[in-house]
Amino acid sequence: MKKRVVPMEINLVAEGLKFMVLGMATVFLFLILLVFVLNLQAKILNKFFPQKAIPTEGRRSSDASSPKSDNKALVAAITAAIQTFRNSK
Amino acid sequence: MKHFLLALSAFVFLAFSQVNAADTHAQVSTQNVQSEYHSKSITELFKNFYASTGINAFLSPKEGMMSHGQELSTFHQSYGRIIMILVAFALFYLAIAKGFEPLLLIPIAFGGLLANIPLADIAGPEGFLGILFNMGISTGLFPLLIFMGVGAMTDFGPLLANPKTALLGGAAQFGIFGTLVGAVALTQYTSIFEFSLQDASAIGIIGGADGPTSIFVASKLAPDLLGAIAVAAYSYMALVPIIQPPIMRALTTKEERKIKMEQLREVSKLEKIIFPLTVIVLSILILPDSTPLIGALMFGNFAKESGVVDRLSDTMQNALINIVTIFLGLSVGSKLAAEKFLVAETLGVLALGLIAFSVGTASGVLMAKLMNKFSSQKINPLIGSAGVSAVPMAARVSNKEGMKADPTNMLLMHAMGPNVAGVIGSAVAAGVLLSIFN
Repeated sequence: MKKRVVPMEINLVAEGLKFMVLGMATVFLFLILLVFVLNLQAKILNKFFPQKAIPTEGRRSSDASSPKSDNKALVAAITAAIQTFRNSK
Repeated sequence: MKHFLLALSAFVFLAFSQVNAADTHAQVSTQNVQSEYHSKSITELFKNFYASTGINAFLSPKEGMMSHGQELSTFHQSYGRIIMILVAFALFYLAIAKGFEPLLLIPIAFGGLLANIPLADIAGPEGFLGILFNMGISTGLFPLLIFMGVGAMTDFGPLLANPKTALLGGAAQFGIFGTLVGAVALTQYTSIFEFSLQDASAIGIIGGADGPTSIFVASKLAPDLLGAIAVAAYSYMALVPIIQPPIMRALTTKEERKIKMEQLREVSKLEKIIFPLTVIVLSILILPDSTPLIGALMFGNFAKESGVVDRLSDTMQNALINIVTIFLGLSVGSKLAAEKFLVAETLGVLALGLIAFSVGTASGVLMAKLMNKFSSQKINPLIGSAGVSAVPMAARVSNKEGMKADPTNMLLMHAMGPNVAGVIGSAVAAGVLLSIFN
């Protein structure tokens, strides 16, 4: 087992506490910056690329149109079926 | 080359020090001096064969056996190995019957089983586990490859939709630094353990609940403790559903657990593509020491979100990560060899790791409560615990606890925000620790 020589005058706990302050400060600084940048980014993107920003909606509207025509065809088929059924009686 | 020669000379020494057992070895390995064959009686043959069996190795351990350049005590050769083999079996049971992270525990436990086989020396520098270990873990390569796959599998959408939940992922990193202080305090005020600041940092990182990050940091700061740290990190990740709920319940009231959160907004494709680049730029500016981890993570995510290299992202999140998981698991398991694992430090690491994990969970929950004091948009404190990474297990636990309080409350997507932020947070914390000792 490697033993790293630690001079006795170093207070390990004080060192550890210093690490903690530095570490937590960096982690929070990083994440707060991230939150800030992400909010800004979302605003900018939604302002300048609104069409690209919501491609799912564009697709959805085209998707929605096809079921409509399907519905018409379905309604037609059902009416035709009912007609033939009534006629056969 | 020097290393190889050293290993070779150790091997030759081994071969001469226990002539009986090594006879078979010497013939197997071609580059070694072949001992001249002389006529043997049938009893002699059988006696020699018995000397090379595992039974003999377990029953009559030899003084002065060498392994990894260290002398093996007779305890570690006999009972130690048997104990560790039983531990491997116990891990198999947990993985198969209880379903605790089987993808990791099976390779790790099997690696441990192989590493404790006497005479074969599979975990030594010449054995295949040793080769894998030197190739991927000592160099810090495997954890980074895993991170690529994790990046390619992770959807950062929930974080983009509600960025402020990232702070919960930051608070949970308190476990890392709290434990660091705890470990050095143990060293300073008691004489049970002797952890240096480097060791303490590597132990604390277990609180990040992120296996690859723990291994990456341990391989750089405390290679001696790597086995214990890796095992602690992965087993506590597997135990998330057991460790976290009592802490979460103790720190929240029934009303808080019932808080419903607003529906997350839809995130555009473009935002998701730009996100990895944003994170990379931030980490370049603030903490280049964290860029190996964050860079690999964001590369994987960029490949996924760019949408034009599906083949690559598919490989990273399936084939590559699976291959590396096998290698990583086996080589971590090689550190379960009795002489490495059955030492007092391991107990310290396991205990401190558990504390790290619990403190991380608690501070995530408390941070959520604190944020509720200042913000009108209420956060369910249960998602705070997901700030320790352990993706996606921790988020699932938050969801499950939320459903227990109110069956209509779906917290999963909300918890994924702090969960993925926790991965970034612990990578940043790792970068800070590495930068201190650079």
